[in-house]
Amino acid sequence: MVIETNNTRAVAKGISVHEFNKFYGAFHALKNMSLEVSPGEFLVLLGPSGCGKSTALRMIAGLESITSGTLMIGDQDVTDVLPKYRDIAMVFQSYALYPHKTVAENIGFPLKVAKTPKAEMEIAVKAAAEQVELGSLLDRLPGQLSGGQRQRVALARAIIRRPSVFLMDEPLSNLDAKLRGNMRAELKHMQASLGITTIYVTHDQIEAMTLAHRVAIMKDGELQQLGTPKEVYANPANLFVAGFMGSPPMNFVEGSITNGLFTAEGISLPAQQLPEMQNVTLGFRPEDCTVVEKGQGQIDAQVFTLEMTGDQSLVTFRSGDKSMVVKMPKDFEISPDSYAAIQFDSAQACFFDTSSGQRLYAQNV
Amino acid sequence: MIRSLFEPRKIGEMAPATKLLLYFILFAWSLFVIFPIYWLLITSFKTPAAVNEGPFFLPWVDFKPSLHAWKDLFVYDLSDTMRAYFNSIVIALTATALSVFVGSLAAYSLSRIEFAPNLITILYFVVLLIGASVAIGVYKTDLWLTLAVVVALFFLLARAVGRLYTARLKNGDILFWIISQRILAPIVVVVPIYMMFQSVKLLDTHIALIITYAVVNLPIVVWLMFDFFNSIPRDLEESAQLDGATMIMTFREIVLPLSRTGLSATTLLVMIFSWNEYLFALFISTSKAQTLPILVAAMNAGERGILWWTMSVAIIIMIIPVVVMAVFLQKYISKGLLVGAVKG
Ligand SMILES: Nc1ncnc2c1ncn2[C@@H]1O[C@H](COP(=O)(O)OP(=O)(O)O)[C@@H](O)[C@H]1O
Ligand SMILES: [Mg+2]
Repeated sequence: MVIETNNTRAVAKGISVHEFNKFYGAFHALKNMSLEVSPGEFLVLLGPSGCGKSTALRMIAGLESITSGTLMIGDQDVTDVLPKYRDIAMVFQSYALYPHKTVAENIGFPLKVAKTPKAEMEIAVKAAAEQVELGSLLDRLPGQLSGGQRQRVALARAIIRRPSVFLMDEPLSNLDAKLRGNMRAELKHMQASLGITTIYVTHDQIEAMTLAHRVAIMKDGELQQLGTPKEVYANPANLFVAGFMGSPPMNFVEGSITNGLFTAEGISLPAQQLPEMQNVTLGFRPEDCTVVEKGQGQIDAQVFTLEMTGDQSLVTFRSGDKSMVVKMPKDFEISPDSYAAIQFDSAQACFFDTSSGQRLYAQNV
Repeated sequence: MIRSLFEPRKIGEMAPATKLLLYFILFAWSLFVIFPIYWLLITSFKTPAAVNEGPFFLPWVDFKPSLHAWKDLFVYDLSDTMRAYFNSIVIALTATALSVFVGSLAAYSLSRIEFAPNLITILYFVVLLIGASVAIGVYKTDLWLTLAVVVALFFLLARAVGRLYTARLKNGDILFWIISQRILAPIVVVVPIYMMFQSVKLLDTHIALIITYAVVNLPIVVWLMFDFFNSIPRDLEESAQLDGATMIMTFREIVLPLSRTGLSATTLLVMIFSWNEYLFALFISTSKAQTLPILVAAMNAGERGILWWTMSVAIIIMIIPVVVMAVFLQKYISKGLLVGAVKG
C-alpha cells in the first residue's frame, strides 16, 4: 500500500446495494432496500431515529449479517466477505477511539495492523493529523480531548488508509451547533478532495441537504425517496418526505378534491387537473407563501405568534388544531391574535393522498 | 455560636462538628482494624509464659520480646512450615490462574456472542447423565460402554428431542445458572467431592485442591468479568476489525489492555479466596498437600493447648504474600481506563 501525503485521489469504487433485508428475530428492520452509489459520490442516509440507518450502514460495513440481498463494492460481490477485506473505513457514532492509545497510536492503528514500516507510518500519521488540524495533540490520550477533537481523531483514523469506501454514522451528532457547522464544511471539502465514495448517516436534514450529492430518505426500514437535495426538497415523493425535509417543515391542510377544486375548511383553490378524491392533503412550504390582509389570500387564519430568527420572521397561524407557518422578511411585523390571510402560488403547492401518503401528480401537465 | 458548629464555613467544606465526628469515627475504625494486627505481631514475640500471664501490650515495657515462637516454626518445624507454605503458594497461584483464564474466556464469549441453547436438549442431557450414573453406580454396568451408549444416544436424538419444545435459554439464563453454583454452601458438596477424589485416588494431592478451588471460584470470575467485558464498548472491537485487525490482534491490542483493571481485581479476589480457604482443604488434604490455614488451625488442637505464639507467627507469614500481592496489583486497579472511548 502506498501512502501519499497529498490529496491524491484514491481509486473510488461504486457501491451497489441490492434488495437488502434485515430481520432481528421477527422484527423486520430493513425492508427491500436498493441503492446505487457511484464512485466518488457523497450519499447521505437520512431518517428519524430508529428507522434503520445504522443497520443499513453496518450491513455495508460487514458488522451485521445481511438477511437477504446482495452487496457489491466496485465490481466485487462482498455480501459474505469479512469486514476487514472490504477496504472500508468507518467513523462510528461513538467515535470508538481506543482509550488506552494516544492520538498518534489511534490514527496509526490501521497502518500498524497492516504492518506498515515505522518511518512510513509516522509520516502518514503526521499528514493525516495535519489534515484534520490535530498536529499538536499527537501525544494526548482520547480522554484528554474535547468532543470536536475526538471527532477529528476518528476522522483521521478513517482517512489515513485511503479506503475505497467511507462510512460515517452520525459523526457530528454530539458536537455543539457552531462546531458542527465548521466540521460539516470541512467534511465536505475533505470528501471532495479525497474523492472517496462516502455513505453518511444522519437524522439531521440540514446536514443532509448541505453535504449530500444525493440523499436517501428512510422511514421504518424503508427507502422513501432517493435524489439530489434539491429534488427531494422541491419534489417530495410522499407526505413523510415532505414533512421531514425543511425547517420549519411544509404546511399541511387536509381536505378533498371535487371538480378540480381542492376544498377544506375555509379554503378553495384550483387543483391542477387532479382526479376527484375524498382525502387529500395540500402541502406548501413556509417560504413559498406570504402573509396578506384578511380576505386577500387563499387561507384566512388567526395569527398565533411571530418569531424572529434573525434573518427572517416566522409567522405561525392557528386555525382549529392545525398550525401553519409562513416565512417573512426579518422586518415583518404583525400582532398576535390578529386576523390575516396566507397567500401562495398554487402552482407550487403539492397534493398528497392522505391515506397512502403518496404524492398526487397532475395527469396532463 | 452553637449553630456555627453545625454549618460549614465555606462551600465544599464540612461543618466543624461533622469533621470532628468523622475523624473520631475514622480513628476508632483504624484502631479497630489495626489493633488485631498489632496484637498478632507482639504475640508472635511473646514466650508462652508472657502470653499466659498477660495481657501485656508493650514490648520491652510489659514483656521481654523473644524469638521463641519463630524458632519453633522456622528451626524445629521448618520442613512442615515450608511445605505448607509451598503448598499454599502452588495451589493458590495455579487455581487462580486456571479459574481466571477459563472464567474470563467464558465471560468474554457470554458478553459477545448470543447463545441460544435449547432447554429441552439440556434437560435431555441431564437425564442421560443421571441415567448413566445410576447404571454405573447401582447396576454396575461397564463404565466405558455406558459412556459410549450415552454419548451415542445424545448425539443421535438431541435434534429430535430439541424439536419437541423450542424454548431456548438466553445468555442471562446461562449467567444466572453459573452464579447459582456459588449460592450452594460448600459444606453441602464437600462430602461428595471428598468421595469423588477418593475414588480417583487424588486425595491429599495438589491437583485435587487446584481443581476444587478453580471450579469453586469460576462463577465469581465469570460474573465479575462478564460485567467488565460488557462495559467495554463493542464499537472498539468492531472498529479494529474494520481496520483490518485479526481476532487475536483485537484481543491483544484492544480488549486485554482495557480489561487489565478487571482482571487484576478479579485475580486478587480469587487469590485471596484460595489462599484462605479452609473447609475443602480440611477434607481433601490430610498431610502432604496441607495448606497454611490447616497449619494454623492445627496449632489449636495439640495436646499442649492453644499455641497462641506460634499461631501468630503462622498467621503473620500467611498475611504477608496477600499484602504484597495487593500492593502489586493495586496500581492496575484504578478507575477511568475507558474515559475517552466515546463522545464527550
Ligand atoms: N441488535 C439488534 N437487535 C434487535 N433490534 C435491533 C438491533 N439493532 C437495531 N435494532 C432495531 O432496528 C431498528 C433500527 O435501528 P438502527 O439502525 O440503529 O436505527 P437508526 O436509524 O437510529 O440508526 C430499531 O428499531 C432498533 O430497535
Ligand atoms: Mg443510528
